[in-house]
Order: sequence, then C-alpha cells, then structure tokens
Amino acid sequence: MVNTILAHDLLWGMTPEQLPVDAPAWVVESIRAGQPVVVRRALSAPDCIAVGVRGRLREQRFATVMLIDAIAHRVKPEDLCHVLIDRDLPAVHALNDLRPMLDACGWVWGVSGSAGFELASGIQALHEGSDLDLILRTPQPMDRLKAQALVKMLDAAACQVDMQLQTPFGAVALREWAGAARRVLLKNAREASLVIDPWEQAA
Amino acid sequence: METLSFEFPAGQPPTGRALVGCVGSGDLEVLIEPGQAGKLTIKVQTSVNGAEQRWQHLFERIFQEQMPPALKIDIHDFGATPGVVRLRLEQGFEEIGHD
Repeated sequence: MVNTILAHDLLWGMTPEQLPVDAPAWVVESIRAGQPVVVRRALSAPDCIAVGVRGRLREQRFATVMLIDAIAHRVKPEDLCHVLIDRDLPAVHALNDLRPMLDACGWVWGVSGSAGFELASGIQALHEGSDLDLILRTPQPMDRLKAQALVKMLDAAACQVDMQLQTPFGAVALREWAGAARRVLLKNAREASLVIDPWEQAA
Repeated sequence: METLSFEFPAGQPPTGRALVGCVGSGDLEVLIEPGQAGKLTIKVQTSVNGAEQRWQHLFERIFQEQMPPALKIDIHDFGATPGVVRLRLEQGFEEIGHD
C-alpha cells in the first residue's frame, strides 16, 4: 500500500493520540470528529506519510505525519468524479458542467481540495467563493496546445477551476503549462523547482 | 484576505517588467515593475492571514544577500510555501534581467 499512496489522497484512521503534543486545539477536534487527513507532497520516515489536517478556516491547515499502519480507509481524487452533492454552489455547478467533458478528455481526472474533501467525507467544506480543485493523471507528456484547450474548457465553468497535472516527477499547474513561461513550477515530495519539461527526470 | 506592505533600501530601477507565477492553491502571482530609485516596495495580497512576520523575514533573507534594484513588486499569494515564493521571485528577477 505504501507505494500507492499519492498526494491529495484522503486518509482515515488518524487518532488524537497520533498528533504531536503541541497540535492546536482545532486540529485535535478535527481528528476526534473523524475527519480524514489529506496526503501532502513532503518526505517522511519510511513508516509514515506526510499529511495535512483541515480546519474550518482557510488558514487552519496543520502539517503532520500519519503512521501508514494506522490507515483504515483511503479515497483517491479519481474515486470522487462521479460522487454527486446536492448543494447550490458555483463549485458544485462547475463540477457538474465539466464532468462529461472531463470524462471524455482521455486522461484520468479527480477532485481534490475542498470539493474533494466534501465529496469524500460529507463534511461541508465548500462555500460560495470556493474554487474547484481538480487533478489530472498525466503519465505521458501533454503538449502545450492541448493544455491551452483544456484551460479554455475550464474557464467556461461557473467558478475558478485549478487543475494540477500529475506527472511521474511531480505536479504542475495546467494554467502555467498552458501559459507563456519558459520554465514552470514543478512540485514533488523533495522540493519545488522551475523546470522546462515537467515530464523529464531532473538531472 | 490580508494586504501587507513592505519597503527595503534598493539601487537603481531596471527598465523591464515581468509577470510570473500562477493563480492557484499553494502558488502565487508576482508582478515586478521598475520602482522609485533607492526604494524597493512590495505589496502582498494573501489568502493566509496573520503571516506578516513570516513575509518580513523571508524578504529580509532574500534581499540581504545583495542590494536589490529599485522595484515595485505586487504579489498575489494563494498560500505558497516560502520555498515557492523564493523561486517565483527569482524567476521574476531573471525575466527582468533578460530585457
């Protein structure tokens, strides 16, 4: 299971006892309430996985680690593509409108961020001003023209949509890959770096 | 949402301008323009409240290495890590240098 856990996966099974003693009260509360944690892109000990705990407020994000043995349940972003929620919010409308086009785009896609959290847990995390965060599994290179076409499609949605391309070497923002910058920001567990080709192994 | 302002001593203004970065969680957009001679001004609009000290320290570390040119920097931050902020600023400085 270790190798298959990826950034943006949601994990259940963390208990307050696993938190560091200096964890803020809201973190302990979130975990005690049975909320999932989200896998972060960061290095950790071999028997642990870097995770983040969400609070109700935007600045309430707490980075910690979870023992892999403690994982009771896991939901990946791509498991959430066809989960429906009945809420009258721009992010929900955007997701409903984009779903058929994403299903037809030829890549595996998924829902992350607050939408993914709400779809997976049923805990309300989206609000009127929420963006929609999506991921796209891109094991093969996507050319920049294709990226521009995708951005055009996402820009027609009911809210701001941020899509991250997950390459074998990390994640890059679709919007940046579609843009004019020669070098783009690639994030992986080790570091963030500016690269010319996000599908090429760094030297 | 919070707007922060910073000011540092600087050299002469460059001629070019640059826009780097990206709107999206964990990233930031940086607009760099020529400033008033001797002054580097930075405006940060951030989605993360209560981080003024962290920005101040980060900028101090970046600009203490050598006297920066006179710039007017506009940052829209979406919860980027200090590492990402540093990379984006370097990318922006590089682009200005190419003009």
